[in-house]
Amino acid sequence: MPEPLFDYEACLLACARGEQQALRQLYEQDCARLLGVAKRIARDTALAEDIVHEAFINIWNGAGGFDPRRGSARGWVYSVTRHLALNVMRKKGREVALSDEHEQTLAADPSTEHFEYRARSGKVYQCLEHLEPSRRSCILHAYVDGLSHSEIAQKLGTPLGTVKAWIKRSLAALRECMA
Amino acid sequence: MTPEELNDLAGEYVLGTLAAEQRLHVQQRLEHDAPLRAAVEAWEQRLLPLTELAEPVAPSPYLWRRIERSLGHHAVGDTPPVPWWNLLALWRGLAGAGLLASLVLASLLLTRPAAINPTAYVVVLTAPQSQAPGWVIQASNDQQIQLIPLGVMQIPADKALEFWTKGDDWQGPVSLGLVKPGQSLSIPLDKLPPLAPNQLFEMTLEGPNGSPTGKPTGPIQAIGRAVKVI
Repeated sequence: MPEPLFDYEACLLACARGEQQALRQLYEQDCARLLGVAKRIARDTALAEDIVHEAFINIWNGAGGFDPRRGSARGWVYSVTRHLALNVMRKKGREVALSDEHEQTLAADPSTEHFEYRARSGKVYQCLEHLEPSRRSCILHAYVDGLSHSEIAQKLGTPLGTVKAWIKRSLAALRECMA
Repeated sequence: MTPEELNDLAGEYVLGTLAAEQRLHVQQRLEHDAPLRAAVEAWEQRLLPLTELAEPVAPSPYLWRRIERSLGHHAVGDTPPVPWWNLLALWRGLAGAGLLASLVLASLLLTRPAAINPTAYVVVLTAPQSQAPGWVIQASNDQQIQLIPLGVMQIPADKALEFWTKGDDWQGPVSLGLVKPGQSLSIPLDKLPPLAPNQLFEMTLEGPNGSPTGKPTGPIQAIGRAVKVI
């Protein structure tokens, strides 16, 4: 749950003014959660710490450029961390994955066919509930685990084209549901 | 690009399913493409609650220090290291040492004026008949004298030279011990009254163990009086 008591916007403004204590407070407030997010995507604690390390440097250096009219301060902090992790994993994946078509023929792991999650309060969870479970899994594997299209296809034992189409339609459905 | 396509691209970017090249492309476009940026930010807000599905992971104790080091920050809560030129203790210590040194030097200056002059007294010891100089005595203070031979005096083998001194107001001469011909000696005078002008120094020929009476008994071989050097 977001901590309503912590003022992320004021924290970023203080960071922009060069107040080191503000970055420390943000670290104490969110480091474990940010590290959790990074580790789910990076699948390695040391790599996740590298990502969070870089994220805090980017947050400190980018705090001055943060515009509160364009989105929440808390969202920005998480986006910086997530996208760093995704950049790392996509770059790695490009080196590893030879061909999408190859991967879709690999055997699926039935034990992880569906993403295990319990719905929480919040609009996005209500809207996810409306999706068919396999499609919901696609979205969650992508967002939370940072899996690529082909990795999701492999994981769910579903053809790559189907996964791509499911994700595209699910995103459209989510956007409509949350509008 | 239609608004629909823009939204799809933004959604897949935030979801994370774009390939590395496409991600890079979007990130470059975000710098200047306001509609794409707005679409991405809307997706960030929509999906942000899903970050709660990742279990928090406790960071290692080194992570924060690493971040601080990378940013060149000092440890929060610690006082920043003071550059040496701002160390109060250093300057206090140096000022104290300087004051102490000046006091020591001033006290030396006031209490030991003789030390300034390398030679305060000189005595030339000459043979009584020929007046040939045989020894020189130098005293840089009134507590110690240097006996310097000017040649090797010939004395009988069964005799010894005994060195004496006597101030003007003393009862009699005091022995400063036996001296070998040609020997250079440093003799303390700390048991005697301070060296004074006109103080007598002499060498007498005595038995091998010195004067049996404690007073000069043999012939004088060399004699001279202390002269204060200006």
